[in-house]
Amino acid sequence: MSHQRYPSIDAVKEPHSVSLKVLRLSRPSLVAQYPLQPPLSSPSDALSHPPPIPASLAYGPDAPSNVIPPTNPAPFVLSPILNLPPSFGSAYVGETFSCTLCANHDIPDDAAGVGAGPKKSIRDVRIEAEMKTPGSSSSSGGGGAIKLPLFPPSGPETGSGFHHDTSTASAAEGGRGGTGGVDLPSAGTSLQKILSFDLKEEGNHVLAVTVSYYEASELSGRTRTFRKLYQFACKSSLIVRTKVSALPAAPTVPTAAAGGQGEREKERSEEKEEEDEKEEEDEKEEEEKHGQRRRWVLEAQLENCSEEGILLESVGLELEKGLGYEHCNDWEGGPGNTDGGLAEGRRRPLLQPGETEQVCFVVEEEGFAAAQEVEGRVVFGVLQIGWRSEMGNRGFLSTGKLGTRYVQLKGRS
Amino acid sequence: MPRSPAQSPAPTGKRMIPGAQPSRHGPKDFSYLLRPEIYHPLTPLNVPPPFRNPPDPPAADTPIPELLAKGYFRAAAIAATQTLTSGTLDPTDHSRIFDLLYTRLACLTLIDATALAAQEVKALGDLHSAFYYSLPPAPTPSQGTKDSSTTDAEVPESSTTAATAAAAAQHEHEHVVPWPLRLLAVRLQAVGFGDPRRAVMSYYELAREARARLGAARARHDHSASEVWRARLADLGVRVANALVEMDDLAGAAVHLRTLLAAGRRARRQGAESGNDGGGAVMVAVRLALLWLQLGDVDAARACIAADGGGNGDGVEQRVVSALCDMADGEYETALGKWRALREEVDDEMVGVNLAVCLLYVGKMQEGRSLLEQLVDSGRSSHTLLFNLSTMYELCTDKSRALKARLAEKVAAMGDRAEGWEKTNADFKLQ
Repeated sequence: MSHQRYPSIDAVKEPHSVSLKVLRLSRPSLVAQYPLQPPLSSPSDALSHPPPIPASLAYGPDAPSNVIPPTNPAPFVLSPILNLPPSFGSAYVGETFSCTLCANHDIPDDAAGVGAGPKKSIRDVRIEAEMKTPGSSSSSGGGGAIKLPLFPPSGPETGSGFHHDTSTASAAEGGRGGTGGVDLPSAGTSLQKILSFDLKEEGNHVLAVTVSYYEASELSGRTRTFRKLYQFACKSSLIVRTKVSALPAAPTVPTAAAGGQGEREKERSEEKEEEDEKEEEDEKEEEEKHGQRRRWVLEAQLENCSEEGILLESVGLELEKGLGYEHCNDWEGGPGNTDGGLAEGRRRPLLQPGETEQVCFVVEEEGFAAAQEVEGRVVFGVLQIGWRSEMGNRGFLSTGKLGTRYVQLKGRS
Repeated sequence: MPRSPAQSPAPTGKRMIPGAQPSRHGPKDFSYLLRPEIYHPLTPLNVPPPFRNPPDPPAADTPIPELLAKGYFRAAAIAATQTLTSGTLDPTDHSRIFDLLYTRLACLTLIDATALAAQEVKALGDLHSAFYYSLPPAPTPSQGTKDSSTTDAEVPESSTTAATAAAAAQHEHEHVVPWPLRLLAVRLQAVGFGDPRRAVMSYYELAREARARLGAARARHDHSASEVWRARLADLGVRVANALVEMDDLAGAAVHLRTLLAAGRRARRQGAESGNDGGGAVMVAVRLALLWLQLGDVDAARACIAADGGGNGDGVEQRVVSALCDMADGEYETALGKWRALREEVDDEMVGVNLAVCLLYVGKMQEGRSLLEQLVDSGRSSHTLLFNLSTMYELCTDKSRALKARLAEKVAAMGDRAEGWEKTNADFKLQ
């Protein structure tokens, strides 16, 4: 559990009638099971293969029949029943942080022995949440915190009865803009909200939740407020290293062999883009006369520095105007991803902690001198990486602008 | 790079059984399994107070099968040990000894004492050793006998011959240990020795034997025996995937399950033995889909159930996977509709629990909580159900401990049940 709690800040000493509870909503997880054949079920010399004993399965049999549910994939270890997240876990850059906030009209503490005390009613309960990130707290303006929208905008969920008709309930709330307070008439009722926040920075984050409510007793009433802070560290999950090398320019009309040539050319590229710089101004002019398109190889090494496996889902470039690119990654868009895994061919790469994956693109101008140069530098655009982790949890990362200093290699076509 | 089971190293474990008499003449002596020091005392520390004394306690002399039927697994584990160590058992009565040992180990895993079981299973030593195979009808002098009679026989050459002799013996002679215990011992020994790869290898050894027995049963037209061995072989195939999952090689497990799926489809195309395996084909696809979900490849999971030739894609199993996929995509509202529809149709604890979990993710925790309470009242008591309900209690109030303790009392008061009466602190998030 990487989050800390701070005591609520409140001038009034009297305990609050409303409590706030928080649970991080990572994806729920599949429950493991270890199916066992029943002990002492038959004489041990008899040859039989009985179904597993119900107690060894993740969920119970159909009540009267004691038959194993047909939905249970026993003897497989993963069962489809879902567990709520057991702990906070780790937070990574690129993920969406989601959590639920519950403001509860708490049950009076009968153990105190003072009896039930004066009956209080709780009205107009409001929850507000803000996120402080390393970037937001260092920036000068704006108070340093990001206000988070809360879902659902609708009203109270009382302890009794079901709300099957959700559409009308939210429509009614929508009229009030979703910001109105909610009454919690009796002890045991709750107001539940869910927030989501895209984690983009490394470092300490503080989720600040403010709960305000109007507490009315028989004679008087007052508005009370408390605030709770939850701190957690956000870590980086993916390290991206890139390298650009120049390829021989291509004729203005693209040829089919362009990709293959790029692959070979990559072998002899230098360590760093800067080293590619050469004084070839004269040749540049000569090439321009031929109307050639410049080309580069962009390589990127993606390293999983988190503590869980990552499945790469998409790796692509978002390029500036006048540039196009081709994948050299055999798993992108391959058939292996959509047929349930039966076709041959490489699947989406799974990176265990510490493992790396190399991706590669050929970037080329769409026409003669189509790429814009700024101070002798060609800016390509950004590299975007989408991934999934356990139970489909999404991650998405975009690098800063990638590019290269203009280099002209002599064309050999 | 997927780590393939084919690259698993050869076994390195010792092939000696401590205290075992390597005699090939006369009945085998299993007294090394009757020593009291093998068995650990059980503490009730991880059990909430309401589960320490059953409301309707079984009598002290209740026979073990009855304890098992009522779900008193702790009592059954203790009773099994008492019998094993009482000194009344004949050390050569292997069928009785192994039944009791299996009961003991199985019950330990059922009361969340797998770590203890993984220690106790070590007493069995290497179950692949020739010692555990019954005697041949006519004793023939073999290299294996000489090996085991000489002390410190660690010459590589002769141990290879001994292994070959043992492999040959496997096809001719019965293993004295019942199949369920051999299966359980594979997993427990992998845990106990901290070597998960060992499980993959051991399952493959069992599969080799199952294949040979299946062939033999078919050759003598013994249909019931060949059915059993075919089922065991299929079961082992899934258990290899389990072992890979347990060693965190999910990609390897997926590769393995794909081969099972492809083999199943091939068999179906050939029309072989399709009679009683209709549901099985769908389930192979469901297993692979669950694995893809665990890996995070939701597209592959969806494709898996859609592409399956065994059904038209709208069976309950496929709809369950489809709802799970929606949740993995974060489409909780869509999933909610599917869970609600399923709940209307089938009485399945998993569907109820998953519906309640989904409700929490869309901001309807109170409805989810009521649903879980309803499931408890109807007699359900899976660990997951209790854990999720306890989590919701923690969200509902600052004083969740009282609610959780009351839940524990309620479940304990329901008395014996075949799925296991006892629950742990972890089930109620009580510490």
